Amino acid sequence: MAKKQPVLAAAETAYVPTDADFVLKNADDALMLDTNFASQSFWKDVLVRFFRKKSAVLGLALIIIITLMSIVGPGMNAYTYDGQQLTQKNLAPRVQGLENYGIFDGSETMHTTSGNKTVNNYIEKDLTDVYYWFGSDNFGRDIWTRTWSGARVSLIIAAAAALIDMIIGMSYGLISGYFGGRVDMVMQRFLEIMNGIPRLVIVTLLLLVLEPGMLTIIFALMLTEWVGMSRIARAEMLKLKEQEFVLASRTLGAGKFFIIFREVLPNIIGPIITQVMFSIPTAIFTEAFLSFVGLGIPVPRCSLGSLISEGFNAFTTHPYQIIPPVIAMALLMFSFNLVADGLREALDPKMKEM
Amino acid sequence: MKRLATLILALAMILSLAVPAMAAEGSDLNVMVETPVESLDPQIATDGTSFEVIAGYTDGLTQMDAEGGAIPAIAESWDISDDGTVYTFHLRDAQWSNGDPVTAADFVFGWQRAVDPANASEYSYMLSDIGQVVNAAEIIAGEKDVSELGVKAVDDKTLEVTLNVPVSYFLSLMYFPTYYPVNQAFYESVGDTFGTSPETVLSNGAFILDSYEPAATAFHMTKNPDYYNADSVQISGVNYQVIQDSQQALMSYQTGALDTTLVNGEQVEQVKDDPAFLTVGAGYLWYVSPNIKGVEALANLNVRMALTYAINRVDITEGVLMDGSIPTYTAVPLQFATGPDGSDFSGDQSKYADYCADDTDKAAEYWAAGLEELGIDSLELDMIVDADDAPQKVAQVLKSQWETALPGLTVNLTIEPKKQRVEDMQNGDFELGLTRWGPDYADPMTYLGMWVTDNSNNYGFWSNEEYDAIIDECTTGDLCTDAEGRWARLYDAEELVMADAVIFPLYTQANAEMISPSVTGIEHHPCALNRVFKNVVKEG
Amino acid sequence: MKKYTLKRLFTSLFTLLAILLVLFILMQLMPGSPFNDEKLNDDQRAALYAKYGLDQPVLVQFFRYVSNMLRGDYGVSYNISKNTPISQLIQTRLPTSIYIGGAAVALGAVMGLILGLIAALKHDTFWDTLATVISVIGVSVPSYVFALALSYALGFRLQWFPMLYNTQLATQSSVLPSIALSMFTMASIARFTRTEMLEVLDSDYMLLAESKGVSGPALIFRHALRNALIPIITVLAPLIVDLMTGSLVVEKIFAIPGVGSLLVNAIQSNDYNVVISLSFIYSAMYIGIMLVVDILYGVIDPRIRLAKEGD
Repeated sequence: MAKKQPVLAAAETAYVPTDADFVLKNADDALMLDTNFASQSFWKDVLVRFFRKKSAVLGLALIIIITLMSIVGPGMNAYTYDGQQLTQKNLAPRVQGLENYGIFDGSETMHTTSGNKTVNNYIEKDLTDVYYWFGSDNFGRDIWTRTWSGARVSLIIAAAAALIDMIIGMSYGLISGYFGGRVDMVMQRFLEIMNGIPRLVIVTLLLLVLEPGMLTIIFALMLTEWVGMSRIARAEMLKLKEQEFVLASRTLGAGKFFIIFREVLPNIIGPIITQVMFSIPTAIFTEAFLSFVGLGIPVPRCSLGSLISEGFNAFTTHPYQIIPPVIAMALLMFSFNLVADGLREALDPKMKEM
Repeated sequence: MKRLATLILALAMILSLAVPAMAAEGSDLNVMVETPVESLDPQIATDGTSFEVIAGYTDGLTQMDAEGGAIPAIAESWDISDDGTVYTFHLRDAQWSNGDPVTAADFVFGWQRAVDPANASEYSYMLSDIGQVVNAAEIIAGEKDVSELGVKAVDDKTLEVTLNVPVSYFLSLMYFPTYYPVNQAFYESVGDTFGTSPETVLSNGAFILDSYEPAATAFHMTKNPDYYNADSVQISGVNYQVIQDSQQALMSYQTGALDTTLVNGEQVEQVKDDPAFLTVGAGYLWYVSPNIKGVEALANLNVRMALTYAINRVDITEGVLMDGSIPTYTAVPLQFATGPDGSDFSGDQSKYADYCADDTDKAAEYWAAGLEELGIDSLELDMIVDADDAPQKVAQVLKSQWETALPGLTVNLTIEPKKQRVEDMQNGDFELGLTRWGPDYADPMTYLGMWVTDNSNNYGFWSNEEYDAIIDECTTGDLCTDAEGRWARLYDAEELVMADAVIFPLYTQANAEMISPSVTGIEHHPCALNRVFKNVVKEG
Repeated sequence: MKKYTLKRLFTSLFTLLAILLVLFILMQLMPGSPFNDEKLNDDQRAALYAKYGLDQPVLVQFFRYVSNMLRGDYGVSYNISKNTPISQLIQTRLPTSIYIGGAAVALGAVMGLILGLIAALKHDTFWDTLATVISVIGVSVPSYVFALALSYALGFRLQWFPMLYNTQLATQSSVLPSIALSMFTMASIARFTRTEMLEVLDSDYMLLAESKGVSGPALIFRHALRNALIPIITVLAPLIVDLMTGSLVVEKIFAIPGVGSLLVNAIQSNDYNVVISLSFIYSAMYIGIMLVVDILYGVIDPRIRLAKEGD
């Protein structure tokens, strides 16, 4: 999606006065600048607009909370993400304190083919001192610990994939757009071919050829994402390259790559960041799909996606196992979307009045 | 507003249409299978679903009784020569669904297709190594013409088979689909499309395939009115539904859309109190194969012993699988091969307790000894595992058990699609591999034959002359005719495998199933045909 | 315009051919072989390779494949349904996928438009938030979880719809899979509709229209939505192809004989002809739809047409 480029930023960053430049005499008085407005830089303005939007702030807060939890969460109890206790498997959530109020007390209702029954396996197995805050899974592993370490893996994968695809996609799009003509034609054909092959074929193939693991998944996700990024970068470039400041820079003898990366790039950083924010949830989601196909993060390590596909098998028997990773994933996707929306509106001066 | 009302009415109509759809049709048996049919060509098919379906509409010379024994089918009776190498089958008057009679020539044609190198039938060894049909091996190797195969049609109703050596279980091979007849005239009339649609297959069995698309998720067989034993078939047909998601399968069973379904281990808790729930032995042996030749640490017997002792097989079957699988401590799994005295070959699971048991203390001793011999204090091993649900679960438990019981050991799991895992193992490109083997016929040899030198499924590249000699003796040597002597020697062979920890046996697979109380007579078998429906009775 | 269309058509054909070649090369890179079953011996494997011509150089295979393809022969399956011609394998599966995918696109697009419109018209109110939440849930819960939940609630508990796909009851049994599949489309469309509508509503010509006395539904639908549609179609186009070429997840859960699961199985079992044929169909649909969208732009929006003719 092409977005309006921030004109203010262009003037701001394209020209940086230095000592070598001549100095205007009595500039302030002579130009009668609106100091209230001028003292506010573009990015400060963006920040103000961003924080004025409640939903965006909520999203940012959620992302920070989940990120923090994914760092400290696994360490909050004595369990590890791969520690198995087969005698303590499939225990329902139980939390100290809350158990006295009839919730999170470790009891669950089983829907069997011969009627429903409510059991509390903590009591039946005499595990009075045992607490699994989110319950335990099929191997007796703590779902709390696994959810947060899964969130960590998912966040790392998604952020890394989004950043790399930003760099590659952006460069590709900018170069293609700037040079235009034959270069653009060839580069766009290549893109079309890449896009025309079903993603699944490329990704599965890659995962089969390379050693399975986090790096491979990041690489695979990157491959599926960069095309969208390059489209946006190219569209922005096409819009900007005929503008005066680029023309000026060119007449001053600036090199092509200097213009692309030092003159144009800073001006399109807004839409690019927005796109990164949108591509993070997509990456999280694609990783979840790969887990479902059996090509996700290798066991016993986990991501939110692999936790969901594990919990999926117990969906009708122990639904509490799938709920924490689904909620964590939904919240992450939700907040990244909110932040992306907020950023887009904050970066777009035209929309700010609304 | 009026439009809205119409819309609601239309929706209501769709809903009301949807409800009666759930009712079961007539007295067809509704069965669930996990995987679609791969091939309807009896000589090309290799998977359980295909075999079950092909056997549903095709009868061989013999058929399986409820216990897995061979009873007359197309062959009404047979004579066996005194030296046990010549079988003469007398065929009954049966007919194909196009009206042609089933003749001895149909069998000759089918068998020739199986060994024809041009067809590259994966199960051709059922005729050569296993069945010992004269010249089968030479034809497969391309040294002789298919016409020289040791089977001939004496007349339309008499088939004579000559074997290299007596084969004690030969009659029970006759119900294996590779040995099924193919009508040559029909085959030639449909050409390359044979076995790809209901129009390109012929039936001589209890049912006729009447609706099928390649790799279909639902297909149907209807009762064959011209079946020679049509009176004994009680159901009007079999309705197959391929369901890959076990939760959907159980819910469908609960609504009555299925009469029988497989249940996943995790769902057993939901159904264990239901009288319709049962577990059925599936015959598969799951085991870990160490790469003995290719990995230095695994060439060490103490390390291998430590690994096999460190496994807690009961925790695997009861803790994670929960589908009725049985912990196994022998190289031949339970409940598929019965000896001359009628007992299970592997009935006694403690006979190799000196080589294989759940014992972490012993494991630690072997481990210490092994590490000392190797002069190392830590070891990292890689295990390749199929990307399916059960193997991944088992592998995670194994990793945890090994790492807990054997200090200094790290096990990394590599998850691969099955095809790639098999290729890696056959090329020796692995350290540990979690694999399984299903029995082709009801004799321990279907397992023990694997570990002879240079067998492609001897993944660890283990080699032992004494072992090779015993296997030779039992397949083509003197013991062919001496059932009890042979049995005893097979135990000797098995002991060699266990004593050298060539494999780490884990468990004999079982399937957890639901069978509706209104249905009786579904026969389950661990080998050849997993399910037989011709004697099923469905009430109501 | 005609010249432009011809040029695009020609490059599309070239792209398709290139994709086919890339697919062939990818198949060569694929680890494993279609014939590495445990019980096959080396001679048999070699015989199978020779039988299917897989022992030939890639380029020979490629040209033979292309020439067979022009005659309507897409080869046979090696594993999934042994020796079955691909055309026979997909002749009923492709329409099933297109049918369910098409229903999902239609449902998702309509629902998404409605949600997006509500969100834009009631910008920054409770309704906006509600629509956003609904659309985000649509993209954040994996479709297999959603599918099973639907099946459990509407299929098992209430028994309104069949839980499994049934060719005899194609309409009813397509309802649940279509809903499950439409969630992602709905969410994306809702988001884009909201953004585009906000922009359009703020534009000068809307102000003009309003000041000329156009109001109510006419203003929204005839003036605003129409202008917002172009970017929405851009988003929708690739989604259409994705949905129509089947979804593994939904097919697996509802036991639908579609092409999505076929492709995944084929990749995992090295069934080359199936992978190539299905990928090629996907590519052709993708490029075809992109072509149509591109040409449509020109028809809809004179500015784009002028710009293209200038090329």
